[in-house]
Amino acid sequence: MSDIEPTADTEVHHHAQTEGPGYATPQAAIEESDPERLAYVMGLYVGTDVDAPDFLSVVDVDPESETYTEVIDRVEMPNRGDELHHFGWNACSSSCHIDELERRHLIIPGQRSSRIHVVDTKNRRDPQIETVIEPEELFEYDLSAPHTVHCIPDGEILISMLGDANGELPGGFLELNDDFEIEGRWDPPGEIEMNYDFWYQPRHNVMVSSEWAAPTTYYPGFDLEDVENGMYGQRLHVWDWAEGNVEQTIDLGEDGLIPLEVRFLHSPEATHGYVGAALSSNIFHFFEADGEWHAENVIDVESREHEDWEMDVPGLVTDLLISMDDRYLFFGNWLHGDVRMYDISDPANPRLADRIWAGGYFGDSHPTGADDREVVGGPQMLQLSLDGERLYWTTSLFSSWDNQFYPKEAEKGSVMLKADVNPRNGTMELDEDFLVDFGDSPHGPARAHEIRWPDGDCTSDVWQ
Amino acid sequence: MTTHDIVLEWQDGQTEHISVDEDETVLEATRANDLGLPFGCLTGACATCAGRLTVGDLTHQRPPRALKDYQQQQGYALLCIAEPRSDCHIEVGARIQAEMIVTPWK
Repeated sequence: MSDIEPTADTEVHHHAQTEGPGYATPQAAIEESDPERLAYVMGLYVGTDVDAPDFLSVVDVDPESETYTEVIDRVEMPNRGDELHHFGWNACSSSCHIDELERRHLIIPGQRSSRIHVVDTKNRRDPQIETVIEPEELFEYDLSAPHTVHCIPDGEILISMLGDANGELPGGFLELNDDFEIEGRWDPPGEIEMNYDFWYQPRHNVMVSSEWAAPTTYYPGFDLEDVENGMYGQRLHVWDWAEGNVEQTIDLGEDGLIPLEVRFLHSPEATHGYVGAALSSNIFHFFEADGEWHAENVIDVESREHEDWEMDVPGLVTDLLISMDDRYLFFGNWLHGDVRMYDISDPANPRLADRIWAGGYFGDSHPTGADDREVVGGPQMLQLSLDGERLYWTTSLFSSWDNQFYPKEAEKGSVMLKADVNPRNGTMELDEDFLVDFGDSPHGPARAHEIRWPDGDCTSDVWQ
Repeated sequence: MTTHDIVLEWQDGQTEHISVDEDETVLEATRANDLGLPFGCLTGACATCAGRLTVGDLTHQRPPRALKDYQQQQGYALLCIAEPRSDCHIEVGARIQAEMIVTPWK
């Protein structure tokens, strides 16, 4: 979608001879990509009594394969204690004009350890660790707790860092060069206090970042007293992308507590995006109008009574994503147990199209069949096929928070589930034949977190 | 170098005795003994390595930023930065971290 007239700059940027690592346009990604056959999924042991490192798992998602729904390879990290969480590619469609780059290396941070791993996926079914950046190297830049990884258009890599070297505020951004060496801080220190996720739209020279809290606040677990003391975030920061400065800060107020995942629409012309406020269980639509950025609460998830809870259970909106054609928004209500699909063809007025219940405090514990293993936890990290027809999700949020809200997940491990999506009709149906069980991992039950496709996906690709 | 006898007690009843030097953290000593206690940041910021001291004296070699005052008063310690100053008994294992914070709303 587009509501900005093309400028002279945008008119000269074209992709007629695309040779780089991505697709020329979001529509090209839909048309030219093959269905996903492999998924890369974070697997975790951190915070459990299992004496083993976290791992990158390679999951077979090819229905024609004999090992369909199985973890066919695990790349163990060299150390324990990482809490692998979010990860990203060295290059995406924003670099499609740089011929020598390949979408080949996964940048995999350890959220707790502040260690950054670079994994070479040249052999997609047998990735190998190429290099590791040790925590002390990050601490030298007074940064810790690496989170979101985005390639940036010149072949470099930007990582949001949630804390300083002590795990306290302020956070910032670390830049790696295309040899996976630390280039330095991307931002002038002190532009922001809290940090979490970010997404950029280079054609509009804008980046939006969100806020979790200081690592020392969220690492040990979720404490309501910390919320009452104002230690959790509720603001969005709008950056000048070229200069690396915050130009505008938007306070979301009480309806915007803990704004996490930031997603712009995929069209490089779009000036619309969404952010999910986890604790207040809202989705905000942010957009540019009259030279200013605005954010409006467009979806409220009502808290629900539960017989075992003294207070109503909030939905806890965690991950969200936008389909590559910018028609649908999906998000997970981690505590309630539903994954929702909204029609966003009118971005300011999302319309609930469909939802699926699986796990959580209100969903079906055995959504894929009475004989199947119990689903502990709720829909969490989401990933959608590039054609928008298959939605996958895992159930773990963060080890210490899992232990508070779903203590059984430490014993049972996570699952990865899938729904078949009909974009024409705006419907979803749980695929009852698809369940990847991280509970039977070789060293013991593991948690599963973020999902990526080898050829780019709906939560990592940006177009320049 | 002064060395202390540390008794580690898991919730399932397992106990282990290890010797820990005064300039060594409890976690370093457990790793040297292949005891596999949980840990994360190794700087006292994340509490993944939390244990609960029931007997003895531990000192943190730098501020335990992941612990609130009341948690320290209840005996919780961060074993990645905790050094012994006497013989100790410490409750250990992943459940100690989970016990440190009350589950909200329930």
